[in-house]
Amino acid sequence: MRPTHSGTMSKLKNKKRNLEENADEQLPIFDKDGGKDGHLDDGDEDQGDLSDSEESVFSGLEESGSDSDDEEEEEDGSEEKSSDVEEDKAADGDGDDQLSAKEVIEPQTDGQHSKEKKKKKKAAGKEGGEESVASDRDSGLQISSQVDEYEHDTSDEEDIRNTVGNIPMEWYKDYPHIGYDLEGKKIFKPIRNKDELDEFLDKMENPDYWRTVQDKMTGADIRLSDEQVDLVHRLQQGKFGDVNFNEYEPAIDFFSNEVMIHPVTNRPQDKRSFIPSLIEKEKVGKLVHAIKMGWIKPHRPKETTPQYYDLWAKEDPNSILGRHKMHIPAPKMKLPGHEESYNPPPEYLMSEEERLAWEQQDPEYRKLSFLPQKFACLRAVPAYSRFIHERFERCLDLYLCPRQRKMRVNVNPEDLIPKLPKPKDLQPFPTTQSLVYRGHSSLVRSISISPSGQWLVSGSDDCTVRFWEVSTARCLKTVEVGGAVKGVAWNPNPSICLVAVSYDDTVVLLNPGLGDRLVCTATDQLISSYEEPEEVKDQPVQWAVAEGEGHEQGHRLILKHPKAVRQVTWHGKGDYLACVMPDNGNSLQVVIHQVSKRRTQNPFRKNKGLVQCVSFHPIRPYFFVATQRYVRVYNLIKQELTKKLMANCKWISSMAIHPGGDNVICGSYDCRLAWFDLDLSTKPYKVLRHHKKALRSVAYHRHYPLFASGSDDGNVIVCHGMVYNDLLQNPLIVPVKVLKGHTITHDLGVLDVTFHPTQPWVFSSGADGTVCLFT
Amino acid sequence: MSQVQARFFTENKKYLIDDVPFSIPAASEVTDLSAVINKLLEAKNGHESVQLCVVCVCLQEDVVEIEYVEKFTAPQPEECIMHDDWISSVEADSEWILTGSYDKTARIWSMEGKAVMTVAGHTDVVKDVAWVKRDGLSSLLLSASLDQTIMLWEWNSERNKVKARHCCRGHAGSVDTVAVDPTRTKFCSGSWDKMLKIWSAESNEMMPRKKQKTEQMGLTRTPLMTFSGHNEAVSSVLWMDAEELCSASWDHTIRLWDAETGGQKNAITGSKVFNCISYSPLCRRLASGTTDRHVRLWDPRSKDGSLVLLSLTSHNGWVTAVRWSPSHEHQLVSGSLDNVVKLWDTRSCKAPLYDLAAHEDKVMCVDWTENGLILSGGADNKLYTYRYSACVSDAGA
Repeated sequence: MRPTHSGTMSKLKNKKRNLEENADEQLPIFDKDGGKDGHLDDGDEDQGDLSDSEESVFSGLEESGSDSDDEEEEEDGSEEKSSDVEEDKAADGDGDDQLSAKEVIEPQTDGQHSKEKKKKKKAAGKEGGEESVASDRDSGLQISSQVDEYEHDTSDEEDIRNTVGNIPMEWYKDYPHIGYDLEGKKIFKPIRNKDELDEFLDKMENPDYWRTVQDKMTGADIRLSDEQVDLVHRLQQGKFGDVNFNEYEPAIDFFSNEVMIHPVTNRPQDKRSFIPSLIEKEKVGKLVHAIKMGWIKPHRPKETTPQYYDLWAKEDPNSILGRHKMHIPAPKMKLPGHEESYNPPPEYLMSEEERLAWEQQDPEYRKLSFLPQKFACLRAVPAYSRFIHERFERCLDLYLCPRQRKMRVNVNPEDLIPKLPKPKDLQPFPTTQSLVYRGHSSLVRSISISPSGQWLVSGSDDCTVRFWEVSTARCLKTVEVGGAVKGVAWNPNPSICLVAVSYDDTVVLLNPGLGDRLVCTATDQLISSYEEPEEVKDQPVQWAVAEGEGHEQGHRLILKHPKAVRQVTWHGKGDYLACVMPDNGNSLQVVIHQVSKRRTQNPFRKNKGLVQCVSFHPIRPYFFVATQRYVRVYNLIKQELTKKLMANCKWISSMAIHPGGDNVICGSYDCRLAWFDLDLSTKPYKVLRHHKKALRSVAYHRHYPLFASGSDDGNVIVCHGMVYNDLLQNPLIVPVKVLKGHTITHDLGVLDVTFHPTQPWVFSSGADGTVCLFT
Repeated sequence: MSQVQARFFTENKKYLIDDVPFSIPAASEVTDLSAVINKLLEAKNGHESVQLCVVCVCLQEDVVEIEYVEKFTAPQPEECIMHDDWISSVEADSEWILTGSYDKTARIWSMEGKAVMTVAGHTDVVKDVAWVKRDGLSSLLLSASLDQTIMLWEWNSERNKVKARHCCRGHAGSVDTVAVDPTRTKFCSGSWDKMLKIWSAESNEMMPRKKQKTEQMGLTRTPLMTFSGHNEAVSSVLWMDAEELCSASWDHTIRLWDAETGGQKNAITGSKVFNCISYSPLCRRLASGTTDRHVRLWDPRSKDGSLVLLSLTSHNGWVTAVRWSPSHEHQLVSGSLDNVVKLWDTRSCKAPLYDLAAHEDKVMCVDWTENGLILSGGADNKLYTYRYSACVSDAGA
């Protein structure tokens, strides 16, 4: 292509030159021709010029091989170029046309000369082949290099057929020119005033019409050469433009499977292939740091194994699992026996009856899942029909087999019972019946012990009060009173020897005359030294001094109550005496007597419910009143209700206050014993249901951590009831002993219990008219 | 029948036999063994047959070692002396028996069971009695009572007259026990008021008689010395020697006192109330009866006094009375609330030698005289006496 290009270039130059000539000198000619062709004339010349050159080119092409043609053209081009340079010089020189004409001629001669030279060479080249061509080229190059190789180097230039450059040509559509020449004159388009008829005529007449195209860049018609037409044809057929290009040349494998001793290229290896790459090092360093910092986690290798769960995968009898106690090995398959043989010994074969029995048996219960059979030879053994079935069952065995020994929670019922210390460790407590105090002829309702522990008083329904020597069970004194004794209470003050006895509506204060004589006489003196106050207050209770026979027996003071007195109890100091007169009328159920002043108080204007028993707090000025369901604690100084304990039982029968004063036990007719911790709650801290029948009496020991309850079932139950000084520790209650000693009489068993003041002994009075001492 | 190797031995020289192992039937009873030994003795020296009893059996290297002693004949009941009320105490000397009773009197009986004298004067139950001394026909005796007094009486046996010499006042509770010291010049009393008091036992006739009342009741005497230290009632007191007192109390202790200085020397702590103690100078052991069923033996000299040497368990009730044999170092008698008097040999602690089950009610007191008489009184108002012959022979030997 390059040669053609340079060819067109030279044509352009020619044209320029022609134009200049035309403009300068040939204007008249132009005019002359104008009548016929108009300004085609110029074009004709141009055409002629062009066609000339082209003809020569194409002829050459037709005549010989392309190479030589190219040569020629090149030569032509170079010739023209050189002439162009001449012309340019002339143009530069301005005015002197002749000179320039001379100069123009001279190169032409030069050109002819070289042309001839080349023609000679051409012939030689035809003979000499390629080598000569190459040398020709070289010489051509040399020639061109001689001129100025950069002058015509258009490799980086635009198409310069016009001067406007690579702009859309429609911009000049309406103008007669395209661009300007160096002198600022318009470069006119070739005049195209052909109409349809001219076109047609041209088409008819001009044999080259078909190969004439318009150059848009210049607006000129161009007659394509044969070569160009051929090229167009080739391109239209999808062939390579170059005729000589053989697209099917045999390929040469530079890189083959054969190992060569020499490298493919001779290029020496780079330095970088010998030293570690710093960039890589930096990159790796970053990754390592990121891994260290945990920003990147190396992803674990993908699981390539299939995702099903092998239940018995870790089954290895020698593994630690196998030896592990709780491990359950996979169920083993039964080893084959003789009966599975194809030729079993005859004893393994089933007889007819056995076979029938086997068939009738449920498949689940069959001992053998198949019938042993005998075959003459192994070849005769048929396919085993149960094979898949057996494999399936084996799989089921493995699948359904328990994998783990599940620990059954074996709750021993005894473990649920709170751990209590053994009674043996809680000694001393009463264990055996030691003494029986016999003498009463009817049920003994109440007993009380002297503060020294030497004497015991008991009141019975046989209308007597008996005084006993504790250590020998000797009845030292019997005092008759006018009714069935409901309650006896020995004054807890050791310096006063008085026993309060209640029967019917009377409370009698007795001086038994036991113990220290001095104390007895002092008590008598205390009572006799009473002086009537000036003003006699109206009291609900009548006080009277016993006289006569009663005084001989020990009666000192007689208190006549309006109602039957059921219980008497002393305050710890021994001056106050509380009496209970249960009454549903709710009024005057409790009275408190002050013995030294012979005064009676009615502490409650109205009682809520039926009062069962009352008790003084051993230390503080509190007063406990037990009604059927509640125990009310009153502060005697503030005269208010402090607490109301809910016993959770139907009917409270008895009550006892712990000597520490913070705990209360209540016995009830519905067989319960409720322990209240006053610091803890108003509900029972513990409820003991050890008795079979109604509780009649409860008692605390004054020193030992013991309490006892007597019941209608004839038993006394002694419990260890440890109260700790530590407020955080709850009382420890352990039943330690069931004491039996009373016979049940009239459905009544034990009616009263009381502890010895110093020894771990418990007294119980029973409906059988006896009092028992348990030690 | 299997045979066992047995070797017999004894400490009594009189009945010594060869120290040779014998093969005897394994099922032999005491009587069989006794027969064997008797035969051996007869063959040896023609000795008359004696009753023997096996006391101790111990096993040594396949040979059963059997200790045998002379069998004591059972105590022979002699008299049953009826009282009007419970007998709270008894003390006998070689001639007379003195008992205290709940009918507020003390009584003197002859050995034959004849009522000799009734000593009346107390206003309450007589809890303890004691002979002080005898000068010919006149005797001094003591009675302690619930009325907080101790009376010192002088009894003339010939004229059969009793006279209150002194009334010892000072206790604030019932006087439960008295004991006369070995020199017979002092006595000690223990009371419910936790005190021990030492009184002079001298009968002082030189004292001027001021009033008729004192004439009747005897002169009031005050204690020479008071020992306080017990926390509970003193139940029993005795003299170990002239300088040392021993007292048992309801506070679970036995305390030893220096009678001269009044200081406490030692204390033995038990677990139960002590009802009674007895001391044997022969074996230097204290025997105690407690409110559990055991008779316990203690060494009063040991510093770690709480150690029980031996525990004799057979009673079913409180042991209310114990008394060592005055002549035999291994034997003692005990009375209990289970109505039984038991005779013990401390070498066999598992079972008593004899049960004297004559009483129908609680046994309150026992005594053992020098001349081999065992006495026991109880709540059935009866005083039983037993003649214990072995003691006589022992005494003879």
